[in-house]
Amino acid sequence: MIPEPGALLFLVLLGGVAAVDGTSLGQFMLSRPVVAATLAGWIAGSPDQGALLGLFLEAFHLTVLPVGAARYPEGGPAAVAAAGAYAGTSHSFSALLVTLILALLWERLGGLSVQEIRKLNVRFSPRPGTESISPSLLSRGHLLALTVDFARGASLTAAGVLLFGWILEEAIFLLPHGSVARLALGVALAAALGASLRLFGNGRVPLLLAGAAVGILLLVLFP
Amino acid sequence: MSRLTRGVRVSLLLRSLSIQGSWNYQTLIGTGFAFVLLPALRRVYQEDEEALRAAAARHAELFNSHPYLVTVAVGAVARLEDEGTPPEMIRRFKSALRGSLGTIGDRLVWQAWRPACALLGIALLLAGVPWWASLAAFLVAYNALHLWLRAWGLRTGLQEGLAVGRALREAPFQRLGDRASDAGAFLAGLSCVLAIGYAFREAGEYGLGALAVAAGLWLGLRIRIAVWAVLVVVWAVDIIVVATS
Repeated sequence: MIPEPGALLFLVLLGGVAAVDGTSLGQFMLSRPVVAATLAGWIAGSPDQGALLGLFLEAFHLTVLPVGAARYPEGGPAAVAAAGAYAGTSHSFSALLVTLILALLWERLGGLSVQEIRKLNVRFSPRPGTESISPSLLSRGHLLALTVDFARGASLTAAGVLLFGWILEEAIFLLPHGSVARLALGVALAAALGASLRLFGNGRVPLLLAGAAVGILLLVLFP
Repeated sequence: MSRLTRGVRVSLLLRSLSIQGSWNYQTLIGTGFAFVLLPALRRVYQEDEEALRAAAARHAELFNSHPYLVTVAVGAVARLEDEGTPPEMIRRFKSALRGSLGTIGDRLVWQAWRPACALLGIALLLAGVPWWASLAAFLVAYNALHLWLRAWGLRTGLQEGLAVGRALREAPFQRLGDRASDAGAFLAGLSCVLAIGYAFREAGEYGLGALAVAAGLWLGLRIRIAVWAVLVVVWAVDIIVVATS
């Protein structure tokens, strides 16, 4: 659903913050999907649903590593847009599945826009070999690049919220049956969480199994 | 007597938060590095505008590092500039340092600490802990190391100067990364089971969940493509079934 104008404005601002937090400023992890989506859900009136969506996106994003000049999908603005639109729906598994697919697409688009910004930033930087540069000019270029990145994230979020909101509102025929969606989501979530072991080293399988045993115990004790 | 006052040091630390603000494919974080270093350069070259402009240009050249541990380089270079070290030596020092800072930071933060903290948040959410408490646990745990690394890096760089390599070797990063990976693997196992408990409702479905975890373990870093394929295929098939029935 498309949020009210006031909520939409805050979502767009949050999208801008999530974009700069991802790389340009701070990296406090407000841009992580689970954080950004939950905050977006809170703004749109349903933090629990935002957290649910964010949990899935976070699991899918765990294996994305921003190493060196790697090109990778951007999680923050996509999570804000998706949670902002999803918060106002019926909260069915079907709507969640469609929103996740859209969010993963938007993450890819966000990653492409980051690459374009990085090309653009060359213009804000002194040419290699420059022997003298005004400190104020250097500062202006740096701050301008930051501002452009914020605007990029805000625009991406605004477009995403409106597009996702429209799809979830109008295109009911795109929503599959709840039970099939639930199984698909469960499989995707379990697989993504299992895959995260690769980050920590396959030699840590015993620790993975120990965690699984504690999980089973928790499910038995607190069904 | 150092010209790098407390105010300058605080300014370096705060500016380091934006070191990647002008990340570009030509100088990577070079421009950001010069921007962060400007308060120190202004103090060192306060009476020589030409020297200040030349120093700013020198430091805006190609540079890369992990964004948190870059404060090690910022602190060390600020000290070297303050001591009047020849520019060519500073350039060689930066060039030698950047690889180590990138590798240590990538392994410790991106590959171990961040996923472990994220899995903590995921496990708490799946266990039914309120969203605000789960997020707070993730953000507080993550940023405790993040902010400590930035502050430690700047202090170490300023204290050690050219000898930061020894400080980096003696710091317990390897041990910390290993313990974070241990915790991450444990939390991954816990999250897998809680996810299966959340999404599935009967014995057959639990088996499907266990198979999915096994597939994830096998696929590893290729998992995003597989997840994408599963979701899109299920969506498309279901639309076709609904449309034809």
